[in-house]
Amino acid sequence: MNIKIENLKKSYGSLEVLEDVTFSLEESCITLIIGPSGCGKTTILNIISGISQADSGSIIGIEGRKFSYCFQEPRLLGWLSAEDNLRFALGSLLQSSSRICDIELRIERFLQEAGLWEFRKFKPSQLSGGMQKRLALARAFAFPADMLLLDEAFSEVDLRKKIELMEDFLHLWKDEKPTVVIVTHDIHDALYLADKVIVLSQRPARVEGTIQIDIPHEKRTFTSSELYGYEMELYRLLGFDRTI
Amino acid sequence: MLLRWQLLGIISFLLIWEIGAILVKSDLILPSPARVATALYMLSGKNTFWLSIGGSFLRVLEAFILSTLIGLATGIISGIKPQARAFLNPLVVAMRATPVMALILVAMFWFPAWQVPVFSAILMAFPVMHTSTEAGVHAVDQKLLQMSNFFHVPSSLVFWRLRLPSALPYILSGAKNALGLSWKVVVAGEVLSQPRMALGTGMQEARLSIETTTVFAWAIITILLCGLSEYLFGLLADGLSVRFRQSSQEENQDLG
Repeated sequence: MNIKIENLKKSYGSLEVLEDVTFSLEESCITLIIGPSGCGKTTILNIISGISQADSGSIIGIEGRKFSYCFQEPRLLGWLSAEDNLRFALGSLLQSSSRICDIELRIERFLQEAGLWEFRKFKPSQLSGGMQKRLALARAFAFPADMLLLDEAFSEVDLRKKIELMEDFLHLWKDEKPTVVIVTHDIHDALYLADKVIVLSQRPARVEGTIQIDIPHEKRTFTSSELYGYEMELYRLLGFDRTI
Repeated sequence: MLLRWQLLGIISFLLIWEIGAILVKSDLILPSPARVATALYMLSGKNTFWLSIGGSFLRVLEAFILSTLIGLATGIISGIKPQARAFLNPLVVAMRATPVMALILVAMFWFPAWQVPVFSAILMAFPVMHTSTEAGVHAVDQKLLQMSNFFHVPSSLVFWRLRLPSALPYILSGAKNALGLSWKVVVAGEVLSQPRMALGTGMQEARLSIETTTVFAWAIITILLCGLSEYLFGLLADGLSVRFRQSSQEENQDLG
């Protein structure tokens, strides 16, 4: 079932963050919310996940869903090894009916898929910045959830590392295909990953437009001419077509 | 290199002491380092000296363990629960402000001589441990806590894997300070309450016999024991820190 987000409004005191935001999220698709820095993207993510409440508006189809999260910074426990970081995040499964061996298998599977199995005993400070982000992605995917929320998870790395990270992300995503919502301010993320792009305006945010990208992920490269049209449309919706 | 400077510092201190003793020209007021060393050597030949060291050490150990355990427990609770913090704060502030001597004198009405130093040291060292632990629990990275909440990590796991390792440097630093304080207060308590087999009792007896040199010798041995125990605890604390935390940049084998 798709999720409908309708007429979300949110203010922090006198600061109006979300003016009137309406869009939908398709099941097992990657929806990307793009907009200028500080326009309220993370606020939308927090409202979807229930961390904060909207002043008005509704979200339909979200009830009973389990969320996983990948933050802008990796948020790893520096004194635990890579595998122990995953074990920590999966700690709640021990209280449910999950068996320890199932949890261990899950940890192994996602570390393998993220290419970190050899580094499972390494502590975060012994891993490169890109590997730490991959570990945070592996943790987000390893946590059993039907919705995955990513907050600027591909930022703060150079373009080559970003592409590697996005490829790892797609590799992990294709396994169980959870519904994904990514917020970013980077057009590269949108072109490479999104099935659907929601473009937000400056704060207070409203939806400037929606773009459906129908090219399969495996055919997308930054040099492919097919993406050019989408790129131009994104620039237009973000207001970069106007002369400075 | 730093050891060389440490040695230079000690030699300079002894030199100033020696010059002071030459200028004062009275062993009754300021005995020279050599005289004190001789007195220390003479003391070490007596059984009571070693029994006094043992007695004081056991009192310090008892006070240190009890104050650390109580301070750790209350510090963790008040670090997590603001209500507990508000409840305990007036007590801790009052204990911190209480003069050591006043505490020892009151304790002498309540306890037998051998318990006075221990009780006084517990009350003086407890606030140090409590405050450090509480600060450590507060210092936990809020973003990591938010991550734990997001993944619904059980609170027991959050405590053992996140809160405790985050607070560990604060706890160890508090414990080290509590150890030093325990030595000082135990010996001060012994000076006043004069239990059997105690460094402070030896010091007081030497003072009553107007043996300044012997008082200095007892003081020197107290300083050495306090410094040694703090050093050994420091080694233990460093080992624990390395085990729990990946902290130093030198250990960073960045693969990037």
